[in-house]
Amino acid sequence: MIDQMQNTVLKVDLISKGFLNIKAVNNISFAIEQGDIYAFLGPNGAGKTTTLRMLLDIIKPDSGNIEWNLNGKQNRVPDAAHIGYLPEERGLYLDIPILNSLVYLATIRGMEKADAKKTALMWLERLGLADRAKEKLQVLSKGNQQKIQFIASILHKPKFAILDEPFSGLDPINQEIFIDFIKEINNQGTTILLSAHQMSLVEKLANKIFLINNGSEVYNGSLSGIYQMFGEKIIIELQLESPFNETTFRNLNDVESVNGIDDLRVKITFRQKADLKNVLHDLTKIEGICDITSHKPDLHEIFLQLIKNQ
Amino acid sequence: MKYLKQVVIVTRWEFGRFFKPKNEALGIVIMIVASVAFYFGGKYAFSETDKKLEITVYNDTDVKLTEFMSTSYAVKTMPKEDKRKFIEHMKKEGDGVLLESGSGNFVVYAYKNTGNIKKLKAHLTEYHKQTEMQKIGISTDELTAILSPAPVIESFVYTNNSSKRVVLSYFFAGLMIMAVFLSFAYQFTAITGEKQLKITEQIVSAISPQIWMDGKIFGISLIGITSMLTYAIMSILGAMLIFQFTNLPASSILDYIYLPSILLYLPFALVGILIWNAILAAIASIITDPNNSGKSALMMLPVLFVLASFLVIRDPDSSLSIFLSWFPLTSATSMPMRWAITEVGYWQLAGSFILLLLTFYFFRKLAAKIFRVSILITGKEPTFSEVYKLSKHK
Repeated sequence: MIDQMQNTVLKVDLISKGFLNIKAVNNISFAIEQGDIYAFLGPNGAGKTTTLRMLLDIIKPDSGNIEWNLNGKQNRVPDAAHIGYLPEERGLYLDIPILNSLVYLATIRGMEKADAKKTALMWLERLGLADRAKEKLQVLSKGNQQKIQFIASILHKPKFAILDEPFSGLDPINQEIFIDFIKEINNQGTTILLSAHQMSLVEKLANKIFLINNGSEVYNGSLSGIYQMFGEKIIIELQLESPFNETTFRNLNDVESVNGIDDLRVKITFRQKADLKNVLHDLTKIEGICDITSHKPDLHEIFLQLIKNQ
Repeated sequence: MKYLKQVVIVTRWEFGRFFKPKNEALGIVIMIVASVAFYFGGKYAFSETDKKLEITVYNDTDVKLTEFMSTSYAVKTMPKEDKRKFIEHMKKEGDGVLLESGSGNFVVYAYKNTGNIKKLKAHLTEYHKQTEMQKIGISTDELTAILSPAPVIESFVYTNNSSKRVVLSYFFAGLMIMAVFLSFAYQFTAITGEKQLKITEQIVSAISPQIWMDGKIFGISLIGITSMLTYAIMSILGAMLIFQFTNLPASSILDYIYLPSILLYLPFALVGILIWNAILAAIASIITDPNNSGKSALMMLPVLFVLASFLVIRDPDSSLSIFLSWFPLTSATSMPMRWAITEVGYWQLAGSFILLLLTFYFFRKLAAKIFRVSILITGKEPTFSEVYKLSKHK
């Protein structure tokens, strides 16, 4: 029960969902506490969006429980006034003035019209779009349309925002802008659940992550925890003078995998607790290496490894 | 209370999205201009036909025929020998009519068969009739008396003045077809457009599919009803104007505006429009791309049902008429039509209306359920059986 953990705003217990013959989500459980930035990570088709839709009661799980606690009461379905949602499939009314669309979407979530208008103008001002409030969405650039979408999802000051692939379709500059927005609304008290597959961006934001693949849990816990558990491996990238023979590297001690980046570059992953000194010593025996770099695995690499081991 | 507030917000939004007073006013202006243009165009066209058509006959044609033809045609004469020359000229110019008569028949030479030839034949028929009557010694008045129907004076206890009430029924049915057609267009744009613009998920995360559907049904029905009322008022004003032209007092319109019929028709039409909007919304929910969907043709269904209700006029007391006036997809027009021309008990009116309300309740629930299921299906358009299976699934 949620009241056992006072700060838990969402508790998901063993939910599953199938469509005809496909099991989209398979017995997953997780809990989100107030103030978290919780990242739901997985490849396309892993079951992320289906899970988010179940949380919002757009679809119902076949089994399992979902409990929300956003207004001091436990509910199966969240109160729309407390929830912000940026769907993966973006869309707004193209032929209607931006301000009108924003105000409409905020009022159906329970915000008063005057307040919605004032807040929308404030956000448009902050994003440098105040002078375009009366223009139609279709005249804005794609990046600006994404900003409007984002405003629409958080305009009513929700306690909990679900952002499904918030970075998709954004250029690197706008990705950074969105990271700052998400951090800002989180600092203002909004708990965030985001789904994404750009691990490098999630690493900058999330404090907890849930890795999902084929509808099943791969990892559930803190971001620091996953590095502690799986991030102690050594990854070496080599630049070579001539095309390499994979067997040469596979025969090294403690090698876990060898992946060619291109004809002249190779990435070698060594097993956990392999000694860097010994690794480098072994490498000096190989001729034709012109550059060596080493690093700890990032989230992307950990995720790929976990999927591979599944 | 929250349900009601949200439905009102969605209703106002949908109404505001599509109801553009400027466009509505422009439509009315275009209608008036077109009517005026047709009126004066028609007058001009008739004035053209008022010019007497030129007909050529031979010099030795019976004087009686020449005189008879002169009443409606500009008759010219020519010698018989000029026939070939006349026909050659006719071929060259594409104009001219030559009438030959003799031994009880007529021969008409013309460049092509037009409406004027049809009129000429009618004129010759009249001449032929008069000639034959003279032969057997019957006057025109006597023939008219022979052919006239039996003089029956009608006096009914019920349905007095019903013919004028039927006009009102036709008028209302026409308005309802118009309102449903408008709804068809807007409902299609509203739902398939939102699906294509991918707004749907954003909306249903905030409000239930039922609220969303109800808002759409009410908002777009309201547009249909607004247009219906606008055109009703315009038609009444137009009719009053026509009465002025025909030297009848403008107040003659009151003979056609039968208040009890209107009071009955309005609630029936209102619920009828709501039902059709709910059905159209349900169909539109399944359609992904209106340009390539085989289901788009289903949107024409309402017109068939409204037209079917006209069968009531032929025999309002037949079993078919009684069925149509109770069947919810036709009763919105059929029951008020029956009531206008025959005796219908109040219990029948109430029963039919309650059935209509229940049907609306059912269809709005169904529309929301279909919508809820159809938003889960992406990619290819779902079949009816897929929608049915998923709706049972959850």
